[in-house]
Amino acid sequence: MTLLEVQALDAFYGDFQALFGVSVRVEAGETVALIGANGAGKTTFLKSLVGLIDRRRGEIRFAGEPIAGEPAERISRLGLSLVPEGRLLFPSLNVEENLLMGALNRRPGTWNLARVYELFPVLRERRRQSPNALSGGQQHMVAIGRALMSNPKLLLCDEISLGLAPLVVDQIYASLGRIRAEGASIVLVEQDVKRAAGAADRVYCLLKGRITLHGQARGIGLEQLSRAYFGT
Amino acid sequence: MIWVETIINGILYGGLYGLLGVGLALIVGVMRVVNLSHGEFIVLSAFIGVSLVGVFPGVHPLVLVLPVAVIAFGLGVALQAVLINRVVTRPDPFAAILLTFGVAVVMRNLMVEIYGADLRHLQAGQLAQASTGIGGLHVGVLPLSILALSVILFTGLQLLLTRTRFGRIVRATADHRDVVRLMGVNPGRVYNLAMGLSLALASVAGMLLAIRASFSPYSGVERLLVAFEVVVLGGLGTFWGAMLGGITLGVAELVGLRLDPNAGPLYAHLLFLVGVLLRPNGLFRVRT
Repeated sequence: MTLLEVQALDAFYGDFQALFGVSVRVEAGETVALIGANGAGKTTFLKSLVGLIDRRRGEIRFAGEPIAGEPAERISRLGLSLVPEGRLLFPSLNVEENLLMGALNRRPGTWNLARVYELFPVLRERRRQSPNALSGGQQHMVAIGRALMSNPKLLLCDEISLGLAPLVVDQIYASLGRIRAEGASIVLVEQDVKRAAGAADRVYCLLKGRITLHGQARGIGLEQLSRAYFGT
Repeated sequence: MIWVETIINGILYGGLYGLLGVGLALIVGVMRVVNLSHGEFIVLSAFIGVSLVGVFPGVHPLVLVLPVAVIAFGLGVALQAVLINRVVTRPDPFAAILLTFGVAVVMRNLMVEIYGADLRHLQAGQLAQASTGIGGLHVGVLPLSILALSVILFTGLQLLLTRTRFGRIVRATADHRDVVRLMGVNPGRVYNLAMGLSLALASVAGMLLAIRASFSPYSGVERLLVAFEVVVLGGLGTFWGAMLGGITLGVAELVGLRLDPNAGPLYAHLLFLVGVLLRPNGLFRVRT
């Protein structure tokens, strides 16, 4: 079943057009990577999916339902969950309260506070601390955990490796395996091409708001990828 | 001895000043808006109290605090939903300031129209004069009850914000208005409830203040001033700071009056000035 179907998506910030005719597909159970340089439009794409971009054109279908014109509050109940770029944790709340915020839109499923603490045990130790007291990697864990608490069908991850040491990124990416095993489909938005392509089934490449490459992750050569990424 | 009594009464009334300010502090904290009509709502609550006393003459004004608070809550929700929510998402803070300023002017003139410009007072009867002996000191029963009520409301607000699901949602919305939408929260509705709560708290202070001091439709500016001083003195973003700020001002005002009966609230304002010069971030800056 096609979980997510995006057809010819245009997105605007005011008069500035950020996405041009973007078409993307995610099948249930898949992990899809969306790679591209800074400013290519990756975050804009994710924000368009969850309803945070005011001006959009084109079709977006999630589990068969059209969501292109819907407000973010309503889309959040359908099973789409975003781990935002920069984490955007709530500094006035402690770690546990941040996770609980994610549960406001709880759908039935396996993820709850206990399971999130199982996935990221260090968070249980630090659950009463302010997110500012945590390391970058731990903050990413809170952001992912918060997104999981609603039991999403599709988890959208915006640059979860950004600014982290390789060992920490290994940990984060390892958790994706568990998340996948529990049934969620994943969209990975990354600047780190190797990581994303390594973890994904299929890859899309975005350059200046347009899809420049699309294919199976295993089948794409480095040179092809480079061209699509940089536009050379 | 009389100085100790003065200071104690100052503390007790200071709780009231804290209550005047805490509603303002809530709105600044949650939506970064300074509600310049806060003082007018304080005065309006007192006028509504006077009207209710007229309708229910047998009922003591203190009992009427509850229905007035409920009315004020409704007004707050309406104010936010109809007017302030339109400007709160703009990056420019002036829009909200100008809007609330306009609301204040309109309210002031409406109150003159409806109630007239005369000074009014809420009669609390025996209670206003009664005093009780505690450890050999004469302490007013009314100020004591006011302090008790203020502490209860402050504690209640603090518990609401830190221990309940609603409080969590309010704090999260204050942090990241867009991110909470991803969790199904409508920030506009959160703001409505916060403004309702803010004005409900202000209305309690307004009613209690009306028992102690007379008021007219033009008293709003002075009430706003006190509320503002309390918030700034206490340190933006803390509620107990607002309480302590209020107590500081209360003590300063009563001690100042003992020293100089014609001073009015001068010494309180002077203390505020000195406090802000010495500690611009607030006297009791606490990391919440």
